[in-house]
Amino acid sequence: MSAWIAIGALALMAVGIPIGMMQTSAMIRPSVPEQGKSATYESGEIPTGSARVQFNIQYYMVALLFLVFDVETVLIFPWTVIYRSALSQGASLSAVLLPMFVFIGVLVIGLVWAWRNGAVKWVKSPLANRRKTERQDA
Amino acid sequence: MIPLQSETPLPDTIANLLGLSGLLGTIVGALLGAFLIANIVLLQTAVAGPWAKRKITAAFTDRISVNRVGPFGLLTIVVDAVRLLSKELVIPDGVDRPAYDLGPLFIPFSAILGFAVIPMGNGIHLADPETGLVFAFAAASMASLGIMMMGYGSDNKYSLLGGLRAIAANIAYEIPLVVTGASVVLFTGTLRMSEIVAVQAEPLLTVAGVTIPQWFAFVNPFAFVLFVIANLAEVGRNPFDIPEAPTEIVAGYQTEYSSVYFVLIYLGEFVHIFLGGAIAATLFLGGPAGPILPGFVWFLIKIWGFYFFTQWARSAIPRLRVDQFLDIGWKGMLVLSFANLVLTAIIVGVIA
Repeated sequence: MSAWIAIGALALMAVGIPIGMMQTSAMIRPSVPEQGKSATYESGEIPTGSARVQFNIQYYMVALLFLVFDVETVLIFPWTVIYRSALSQGASLSAVLLPMFVFIGVLVIGLVWAWRNGAVKWVKSPLANRRKTERQDA
Repeated sequence: MIPLQSETPLPDTIANLLGLSGLLGTIVGALLGAFLIANIVLLQTAVAGPWAKRKITAAFTDRISVNRVGPFGLLTIVVDAVRLLSKELVIPDGVDRPAYDLGPLFIPFSAILGFAVIPMGNGIHLADPETGLVFAFAAASMASLGIMMMGYGSDNKYSLLGGLRAIAANIAYEIPLVVTGASVVLFTGTLRMSEIVAVQAEPLLTVAGVTIPQWFAFVNPFAFVLFVIANLAEVGRNPFDIPEAPTEIVAGYQTEYSSVYFVLIYLGEFVHIFLGGAIAATLFLGGPAGPILPGFVWFLIKIWGFYFFTQWARSAIPRLRVDQFLDIGWKGMLVLSFANLVLTAIIVGVIA
C-alpha cells in the first residue's frame, strides 16, 4: 500500500513541476499579439481548410490488431510469473508449455491472416499513385 | 530465496532520518523521496537536452558546438532554460483548447512517473510494488495519449499526421517491447524490480577468477538486442523518428507548440529516453550493479550509455520510410519477439 502512496507522490511532482514551469514562463514571457501570427503553420502558405479531415484507414486496422495483441500480452504476464515455480513444484513441462503454445499459436495464425489480407501493409492513396504515373508520363 | 525488503526503500530512509513514523512518516518520506527522484531525472535531462545532445552531434559532424558560456559551454543549460521559458507563447487559431494544453503536460508526466519503480542503487528506489515492471511499461506508454491530444488538438495537418504516425509507431513496437520484457520474467518469476535486479546478481560463470554476473544481456543477448531496438522505436529516435521526420512533416505533433509547451514536450522526450534506458538497464544489465563504483554511479553510466546509443543512431542511421517502419514492426519484430518468448520458455523449462 505504501508503495502506491510513494508513486502517487511522484505523480504529484510530475504534474506540479510542469505546471510550475508554465507559471514561471507566464510571468516572464512577452505577449505581442499580431495579425497573422496565430495562423496555422503550413510551410508559409495561407492555410487551406481545417485539419479535421478523414485520414488513412490503415491506422484503424493497425489499432485493431494492436488491441488483440495487447490483451494477449496482459494474459502472458501471469503465465511467465508462475512458470518457473510451477515447474519446480512438479508440474510437467508439457502441462506448463502446451496451453500457452496453443494460445500464442492461435494469435500468430490471426497475425498471418491479417498479414495476408494486407492489414499491416501500408496502403497508398490512389491519388498519390495517379500523380506518380502522371509524373512518369511527363 | 531473496529476503523480503521494504516496499518503499527511499521514503523509509528519509522518514527514519527525520525521525518520523506512521502515516505522517510515510507521506512526508514519499513526498521528499519523490521530489529527489524527480530532480535526479530532470538534472539528467537538463544536461542531456541543451548541452550533451549538441556536443555529441557536433562531435559526429566534426564541429565544436556550444563553448561560449561556462566551462565546455556547460552554462548554456542555464541560458537556454531562461531563453526558452521567456519565449512568447503563440496559440494558433482553431486549436482544441483543453486537449491542446493538456498534451504537453502528459509527456513529461508519464515519463517521470515511470521512474517511481526503477531501482537506482544505493537505496535510491522510490517504490517497489509487486507489479513494478508492468507499471513501468504502463507509465511509459501513457505518453501516446498526450501525443494523440497534441496531434489532433493543434488543428494542423502536419500535427495530425505526426500524431497518427506516433500512435502507429508506439502500438507497433509496444508489443515486441513488452513480450521481450516478459521473456525476462520467465527467468525471474517475479515482476518486482528489486527482485529482478537481485536475480541478476547471481554468478553466471567464472572466467580466470573474474565472476560474470547473470545479467540477462549475457544470458539472452538476442532478447537484449530486440529490446533495445523496440525501445529505440518506442522513444521515437532515429532510425525510427518518423513521427517527427523534420524533412517530411515539419515537426510532427509539436509543430504548433512554442515557448514553455515546446520545453515540456522536449523535456518529456528526453526523460522518455532515460526511462527507456533505465528499464533496459534494470531488465538486462543488472540494474545498478557493477564493480568498484557505487551502484548509483553505475546506474547513471548505464542510462547515459543508452542515451549515447540513441544519439549515435541519430547521427549514423538514415530514417526509415513509414511503410518500412510498420513492416519491420509487425512482420519482423513481433514475430521475432514471440519466437524469443517461446524459445526462452522451452530452454528455461528444459534446464529447470
